[in-house]
Amino acid sequence: MKKNEWPYELKYGEKKEYSCDVLILGGGIAGCMAALGAREKGLNVILVEKGAVAASGAGGSGCDHWESAATNPCSKVTPEELVDMMLRDNKGFNNGISHYIECREGYDRLLDIEKMGGKIRDTEDEFKGADFRDEDSKLMFAYDYKNKFTIRIWGTTFKTAMAKELKRVGVNVVERVMVTSLLTDQGKVGGKVVGATGIHTRTGEFMVFKAKASVMAMSRPARIWLFNPAMVGLSEFRPTQCIGSGHAMGWRAGAAFNMMEKSVRAEFSAAGKSYPPYGAGNNHNTWYPASILDANGKTVPYADRDGRILTDYKDRCLPANGQKFFMKGGGIDGGIYEIEGPETISVEGNPEYKLPLYADLSDLPELERKVIWGMMVGEEGKTKVPILKNYTKAGFDPEKHVLQCYGSGWKSATFLSDERQLFGLPGGFMNDWHLKSNLEGLYVAGDALFASDCYGHAAATGHYAGRHAADYVKEAYEENENGTSEFTRGEISQAQVEAEWTRVLKPVMKLESGYSANQGYRWQEVNMAISKTMQHYCGEVRTEDMLNTGLAQLERIEAELSERSIADNPHELTRLLEVMDILTVSKLIIQASKARKYSVAPLCFTRGDEAKEQRKDQTFLVIKKTEDGIDAREVALDYYGDLKTNYEEFNKEYIEAEGARHV
Amino acid sequence: MYRESGYGADFFVPIQYDEKKCIGCNLCVDICQVDVLLPSERKGENPIVAFPGECWYCGSCVMACKTDAIRLVHPLMNQVRWVEKDSLGSSL
Ligand SMILES: Cc1cc2nc3c(=O)[nH]c(=O)nc-3n(C[C@H](O)[C@H](O)[C@H](O)COP(=O)(O)OP(=O)(O)OC[C@H]3O[C@@H](n4cnc5c(N)ncnc54)[C@H](O)[C@@H]3O)c2cc1C
Ligand code: SF4
Ligand code: SF4
Repeated sequence: MKKNEWPYELKYGEKKEYSCDVLILGGGIAGCMAALGAREKGLNVILVEKGAVAASGAGGSGCDHWESAATNPCSKVTPEELVDMMLRDNKGFNNGISHYIECREGYDRLLDIEKMGGKIRDTEDEFKGADFRDEDSKLMFAYDYKNKFTIRIWGTTFKTAMAKELKRVGVNVVERVMVTSLLTDQGKVGGKVVGATGIHTRTGEFMVFKAKASVMAMSRPARIWLFNPAMVGLSEFRPTQCIGSGHAMGWRAGAAFNMMEKSVRAEFSAAGKSYPPYGAGNNHNTWYPASILDANGKTVPYADRDGRILTDYKDRCLPANGQKFFMKGGGIDGGIYEIEGPETISVEGNPEYKLPLYADLSDLPELERKVIWGMMVGEEGKTKVPILKNYTKAGFDPEKHVLQCYGSGWKSATFLSDERQLFGLPGGFMNDWHLKSNLEGLYVAGDALFASDCYGHAAATGHYAGRHAADYVKEAYEENENGTSEFTRGEISQAQVEAEWTRVLKPVMKLESGYSANQGYRWQEVNMAISKTMQHYCGEVRTEDMLNTGLAQLERIEAELSERSIADNPHELTRLLEVMDILTVSKLIIQASKARKYSVAPLCFTRGDEAKEQRKDQTFLVIKKTEDGIDAREVALDYYGDLKTNYEEFNKEYIEAEGARHV
Repeated sequence: MYRESGYGADFFVPIQYDEKKCIGCNLCVDICQVDVLLPSERKGENPIVAFPGECWYCGSCVMACKTDAIRLVHPLMNQVRWVEKDSLGSSL
């Protein structure tokens, strides 16, 4: 085996300190917009990102739909109507606050991104005359062409534009740093968040960030139940390094979480089982409304929600008779009746249709075909190169060829019931109307929030959290210098910093001090152990005994990890620290499952040992770690009150200013 | 130290460099959010695909390269099938 020198300078024993007003943790869509939102208020902002902002996060390599743009000039639905349906679709187990912000402010953010240099409309008139294009604004819509609230976008241009904008406005961007912990006032669980620690993923240098307020924007957990050591990057749908560190450090610091008992049977791009996302035959998302053919070339017809067969392709993008609007995209496969959209009829087990099925663009009008193959497949994340470029080079011609489907809907694979995933609208940080967590000084944005998904949602909640964090800093630190407010300034505990420094460096220091490499565990082995444990003890059907045993098993792995894990270099150290976070999140999921004593269908949560008489009204179960244990409490599903009234109450200044901003 | 092999992952080769086109600018190394690539020891040479199994096949490195020196290939098991529409039913 050839051994090469590590190409970067190693700085294991070194420490660097930073200080700012608002600290942004994670530089995906949410983090970038949070940094800009806080910077607009004139504060000193640092953004810490594990990768490189220009292409990091779930939307780093592209995105083709901007959902829920209810306030764009062509939209025929209101934010209230849209959110109402999102809430009803999930029987109330959804984030009313964040999705209302998405519907109210998402389009404002899209205009911001356009100003930064992102492409959001068909300025070259490539699609002039298409049914989905508005001739005045040149905006292009998807799915429901009548109501026009989902916008087709050229998402590959977005993150590079954002990275430039951050630089232009003077945000201090610190890249290739993995944030490892939140620092709390005097190091106490539940104390005010006063900063964070991190480690450089190439040099191993340790970093301490001191901040007056922080915004958590590290997205959601992954690789809890699904892991394949040979194809780590294909283990899940989201980027390899996005595994839920934010949840782990939030839990350790005492942040409250909601819906963490929720998981779904794995459905997309997982464990290497799926065919490439958006690169196999289907008629969902990017590929909507492609035609589907069976192996004999027979068309599988589309039907509306009432089962009426749609013969004109145009009806695939229109609501049914008597229906106000329909919803597609995001995590929605088959919505509730009110918003259920057109769909090809199910042919499973029907002998009239011969498998496999194929997606066919050749019978669509030219501009429909061109917008799917060329624009959407091309702008969607992970499609420009491996799908559009490579398939074209290999001879795929959408006028002539049909692309095979490998599963029903958009799944492209089938999974066992214990192979779970946090997909769609999973659990996450609990939030209030400021998008603040329960911890003073800690705000949350994007997919880190409970029941969150989508690009527009991340952008809208990012900006919102950034500006509310900035308002807090201004109010608490600047305007109340005379000490009239109740806020705590908070202090970094040097003991907490030292303990974290020792924890994160331990796996590399062991090897440096002559520990034999054969004696230790590497990160892949540990991730395997965690996912197997979670499938076995915390799969589809959960019971108290199995959850307790699973927890004990995880604790055993954790003890071994702390003693015996090793890493050769800062890169592997980063991967190992990620797996430690995956373990923490797994424990959090087990704790949330233990707290929920009865099955809840909308959370896909099944208790095998539920006592029927214990069944209570359906509520959120919010859990957090405290200095002496775990605290779980019930919270009403509609805890956010009237959405419009509260939103307007909490955002007076924004509403006034925004009116003038985009003219 | 990093080990060039020793991972089960090494049997995937997501990234192939065209040595003739690559100018060793390392733009691809610095855009990859997963840090799959490492700069070559020798200046001007193409980077090393150090952690191939961690690639999530996003294409950002290819988009960043100004000389079109990178080929990104899905693993064999993920290479999908298409057929001529006119052929459907004919061989069945
Ligand atoms: C292939 C793909 C296609 C998609 N297409 C669409 C679409 O068409 N429309 C749509 O609405 N949505 C789409 N989505 C979903 C959408 O991209 C996400 O919901 C959105 O980008 C989430 O933004 P975020 O900022 O919350 O998280 P992310 O964009 O994932 O950002 C999280 C960031 O945090 C960083 N990070 C994580 N841990 C740490 C740490 N410990 N320290 C420092 N930094 C850290 C990560 O590197 C990352 O940059 C798609 C997702 C994928 C994967
Ligand atoms: S970006 Fe292109 S030219 Fe530059 S090092 Fe990478 S492959 Fe070579
Ligand atoms: S395809 Fe994406 S993940 Fe893979 S090496 Fe290139 S930039 Fe990195």
